[in-house]
Parts: sequence; structure tokens; C-alpha cells
Amino acid sequence: MASRALAHCMRSVARASARLNHGNMLTRSACAPLASNQRALSAVSRGQRTRWTDLVRISGPSVHLCRRYGDLPPLTLENIQDRVMYVLKLYDKISPDKLQTSSHFMKDLGLDSLDQVEIIMAMEDEFGFEIPDAEAEKLMTPEEIVKYIADKKDVYE
Amino acid sequence: MAAAYLTHQQKVLRLYKKSLRHLESWCIFRDKYRFYACLLRARFDENKHEKDLVKATLMLKAGEEEFWTNQHPQPYLFPDSPGGTSYERYECYKVPEWCLDHWHPSEKAMYPDYFAKREQWKKLRAQSWDREVQQLQAETPAEGPKSEALPPARREGDLPPLWWQFVTRPRERPM
Repeated sequence: MASRALAHCMRSVARASARLNHGNMLTRSACAPLASNQRALSAVSRGQRTRWTDLVRISGPSVHLCRRYGDLPPLTLENIQDRVMYVLKLYDKISPDKLQTSSHFMKDLGLDSLDQVEIIMAMEDEFGFEIPDAEAEKLMTPEEIVKYIADKKDVYE
Repeated sequence: MAAAYLTHQQKVLRLYKKSLRHLESWCIFRDKYRFYACLLRARFDENKHEKDLVKATLMLKAGEEEFWTNQHPQPYLFPDSPGGTSYERYECYKVPEWCLDHWHPSEKAMYPDYFAKREQWKKLRAQSWDREVQQLQAETPAEGPKSEALPPARREGDLPPLWWQFVTRPRERPM
């Protein structure tokens, strides 16, 4: 009686998890033998234990994405843009409400060329690589900075 | 760089940036660095409205000499910058794209759609090459090019000169 109730609960949980983990063949293969209601209690508990370990295991592609070996999280365009805007909002000569991705440092925000150098240095510190002077003096909007960093870091080429 | 010579403003900005970087190497604690960085910025700011170029050049020269005497012997360098630890480390793995043409057909069959697209790109390059050469020959001065910058495409529907080398350049970090 109790085993039947437990197996029913397990089946519904397994059905939900099988719907979620599409690529996980192990849960589906573990679901199938337990669908039959003729197992002994020990077998059901064994199946329960394998069921939970199967649920814990992650499917193939996400394992590759999770394994970073001490590296930084992979950069995406939105990630870069968020970080650039965050650093710019921290700068005290820029008011955060006036700041947009296309706001020009000199024309819209009224900054100096020395301020622009400081901003580029803050970007270098944030992303950990040097931006040479020849190219740094041309970056005048946050959008251009994002494009340059994405270009240098091979993000969605 | 647009021209071969730096403008006065560019020289001042470069001095500012490298003096800030060396200051950062000297003052390792962040609040101390911020304090001295603000003082340095104030020194640059009080002279920035100088209209007389002779005086400004003399001040720049004095600034460069002061930088030279006060520089850090081992300034902090980013890994990818020249002199850093990982500068040109991955240069040997950046294979040029013409090696793709030398693949064996069985290897090329593994990526059929990529190589089909590549044939179209190569046809486009063959078509636009003559016009690119013509544009470069027309726009380069007689003694030789003044700088490394390439001119953009002048006419509608034309591709900028030597675009192939730019488009097929290897990744910064080869996989």
C-alpha cells in the first residue's frame, strides 16, 4: 500500500523531471522500469535512490558550460554592456540618469579629454587588458567601447 | 593613428595615462592612489587652458622629464600588453586562413556549408580585388603611404581596400 503510494509519487516527480531534462536519457530509462507497480519495497527504495542521483546529474551540454577550471564567466555582449554601464555610473562626473549607451562623452555628457582617458583606464582595469592609446582616443561613446571590447575578446564575432 | 605625428593634445593625454599607471604601481593601496591621482589631475587641470603653444610644449617637456625621474622600475603591466606575461603567447596558434584551402577533401566534407559559403566569399574577393588595387593606387601619395591607416570605401557598393585580410583575421585567443 505504502509502496504503491511512494511509487506513484516517484512516477509523478519523474514525469515532471523527464519533462524538464529533455536530454537526460537516464531519468527516462529509470522511469520506465518503475512504472510497473509490482516491485518490492526494497527495489522501490533502490529505484528511489537511483532516481534522486539521476535527477542530480546534469545533462551533457550544460556540463561543458559549467566547467570553467578557475576561469572567468564567459563574456556575452549584454554582460560587457552591463559592466561598462556599471563602471560609468560609478564615475562621479557622470549623472546616472543622463547616461545611455549612445551618449557621447564630450558632446552629451560634457566631459573632458582627461576624463575620457580616466574612463578608458577604468575600462582597462575592469576587463583586465590594455587598450592602446591610438585606439583609446577614438572611443567616445559607451557603445563604441562595448564594440571594441567585443572585438578584442572574440565575443559573437 | 591618423597621421604620422602626434598632436600636442595626444602627447599630453599619453603622458597623463602613463603617469597615472606608474603612480598606481607606486601607491599600491587604492585610497592612497586615489588621493595622489586627484592631486595629479588637479595639476593637469590648472594648466589645461594654456593658449600659448610654446609655453605648453615647455610644460610638456618638463612633465616628461619629471615622469622619467619618478617612474616605477617595474610598473604593473596587463598580461596582454607589450612586456606583459602573455603578450603574443598565442601568436603561434593563429593560423592564416589560406591553410583552409589546403585541407584534404575528406576533411572539407566534414563542414560542407562552411566551405560552400567560403567559395562565395572568395568569388566576392576576386571581383572586388581590382577595384581595391585601383583605389589604393589612386589614393597613395607618390613617395609612399604616410601612415598605416587604410582609406575607407569611397563609392557606394564598393568594399574597403584589403578588406579580406581584416575579415579573415584570426581570433585574438585561438581556441
